[in-house]
Amino acid sequence: MLKYLFARNEDIPPGTAAVFFGFSSIIWFVIGTGLGSFNAAKLAFPDFVMGSELFSFGHMRQVHVFAVIFGWISMAFAMAMMYITPALGNTKLWSEKLGVWNCFLWNVGLSLGLTLLWAGITSGREYSDFPWPIDLYIAAFIALPLAINVWMTIIKRRTQGIYTTNWFFGAGVFMVTIVFIVGNSPEWFNLTGLSEAYLTWWFAHNVLGLWITPVAAAIAYYTVPKVTGNPLYSHRIGHLHFWSVVVFYSTPAAHHLMSAPLPEWLKSFASVEGVLILVPAIAFVSNLLLTMQGKWHMFVENVEIKFTISGVLLAIPLNMQGGFQQTRAINWYVHGTGWIVAHAHLALLGFSTFLEGAAVYYGIQTLLRRKLYSLALANFHFWFLLIGFAIYWISMTIAGLIQGAGKIYEVPYIDVVIAEHPYMIARWVGGTMVFTGNIVWLYNMYMTARAGTEIPEGRLPHELAYER
Amino acid sequence: MAWKLDNPLYSMADEEQNNKAKHVWEGESLGGIAEDNNRLPQAVVWLLVLTVLTAFAITFPLWGKRPTAAIYADYIQLMDSPQVQAIADDKGKMEYIVKNAPVGPHKSEQDRHPLTMDDLRMIKDQVIELQRKNVDLEEYTVIGDKVVLANFEGPIKENGEVMRKQPWWDKGYTIDVFYVAYFCIAVLIVIKRLPHYSWQPDHSVAH
Repeated sequence: MLKYLFARNEDIPPGTAAVFFGFSSIIWFVIGTGLGSFNAAKLAFPDFVMGSELFSFGHMRQVHVFAVIFGWISMAFAMAMMYITPALGNTKLWSEKLGVWNCFLWNVGLSLGLTLLWAGITSGREYSDFPWPIDLYIAAFIALPLAINVWMTIIKRRTQGIYTTNWFFGAGVFMVTIVFIVGNSPEWFNLTGLSEAYLTWWFAHNVLGLWITPVAAAIAYYTVPKVTGNPLYSHRIGHLHFWSVVVFYSTPAAHHLMSAPLPEWLKSFASVEGVLILVPAIAFVSNLLLTMQGKWHMFVENVEIKFTISGVLLAIPLNMQGGFQQTRAINWYVHGTGWIVAHAHLALLGFSTFLEGAAVYYGIQTLLRRKLYSLALANFHFWFLLIGFAIYWISMTIAGLIQGAGKIYEVPYIDVVIAEHPYMIARWVGGTMVFTGNIVWLYNMYMTARAGTEIPEGRLPHELAYER
Repeated sequence: MAWKLDNPLYSMADEEQNNKAKHVWEGESLGGIAEDNNRLPQAVVWLLVLTVLTAFAITFPLWGKRPTAAIYADYIQLMDSPQVQAIADDKGKMEYIVKNAPVGPHKSEQDRHPLTMDDLRMIKDQVIELQRKNVDLEEYTVIGDKVVLANFEGPIKENGEVMRKQPWWDKGYTIDVFYVAYFCIAVLIVIKRLPHYSWQPDHSVAH
């Protein structure tokens, strides 16, 4: 990487930034899920690693959360943007050099931020835990350079039309920049009380709704038509999806605070909008599944489609949960329980991870012109990820229902802890399977770069048979 | 950008605009990807309609309503009765109160928000004080050991005060109705500016 930081833009091979982002994202995924497995072990076996506050759950939790959100998910998004945005505009990335610097500064900033969180230096607000100097760093050296590169590539495209994926990419980088700056403002302006709480959850909700969900969906809009060769089923439904994400996902932040003394009308408004999140979800899932017509055999045979369609299918339970769990009656029961933890993992480890995984698999093969080193290892990764995630999700959902019952019926806390203990062990098993799968993935992609079969000019990776 | 509004549910773009769109649609390969022009399947349209109706129906404040002081007024009245005083333990007292309280409009809420004799003792004086002031107990919420004015802003009452009773409808829903309506109109316009769905692009032109 270092040699490209100071090279001329013309001397940097196309796709360099995307490849750096791709490998960075996998490494952060291994680190993030390793931390997740460690944290889960602490919840399952309370005596595991004692004696240092650095390894206490309170210190480690947010390091895990931020490693996966900023390291894995967002860097995989950046990777996808670096190669998909120019491809859809029949052009090159506006600036490979900016992309390489972006990737370098991203890794440096994230490492610094996670070190501070690990040391216990935080803003104290969930999902916006970074202290304000790191927030400014992220805005200036992570979000803005990425946004500029994506926008300029779209502006400099060689097509008249803009494909659906690039609407989401262009809007996603715009929305996340605004969300990040406004959402972190409580710390800059010393806001307290309800204003702080509302903005904290406005940020947390919109990072999901206006960054992770739309950008992950945008990747699926690329992967499925590209790999199957089918045209996207409907440009019109793409419009419905795009605008309903912007309209209905940006408004329901108050549904995270249904028991707080916010104005009730705001909660009513947010709660209706919360259910209406199902509108973009229905549009997205129906458009992608209908695009698969005649190509369902690829769901079994092709790694990228296997990952993508799994992610699309997981959007169904994700949005059914997300839409309804925030309503007054259900929120009363599940708020503050493991159910919510399960839901968050369904969104990040289920839905979006599977879609990003496909983008990274496809991107690294295409950009390095190397066929995947081993299909067997990719399948191992897929099944460990899927089964590990399923164990995690189901066990935490059950634990959440137990905690909800304990909360409502005022069961003594220690009895609830004992009742949910088996599910904490299951959570650790599931999380560790995901971690194991990711180590195999890193090896497989490293070997793809080193020893994957070369893809001849004019061919695409999915057109060639797997050799291993 | 010419508009044609004689048959807006068919198309809002004139022939020239549609031809231009069709030309670009068929003539460009967006990184090797093509797009069809299918309409939303009818079953999915009905699913979306059902979603919007459900969104309003399931979020009424009625579901998950917080306990108001009114639902415990009958319990408090029974607390000092000789029958309750004669019972030795708190559990027995509470069971007697729940069983013998008059069945009123708050029955289902009483079932959803059970409490102990200790809870009842903590709110007793506060509820009696409110009854003495002759205020509407439904405007007061019980939060732990406190009885507080509910955090609702309903319509203005005749005496000029804001109604604090939890409504089944509030201005949040009114905003939602307009919000959804504007969204539907905007998306309809965007989609009807495209060539009609009866036309499908020929992908052999650019691919």
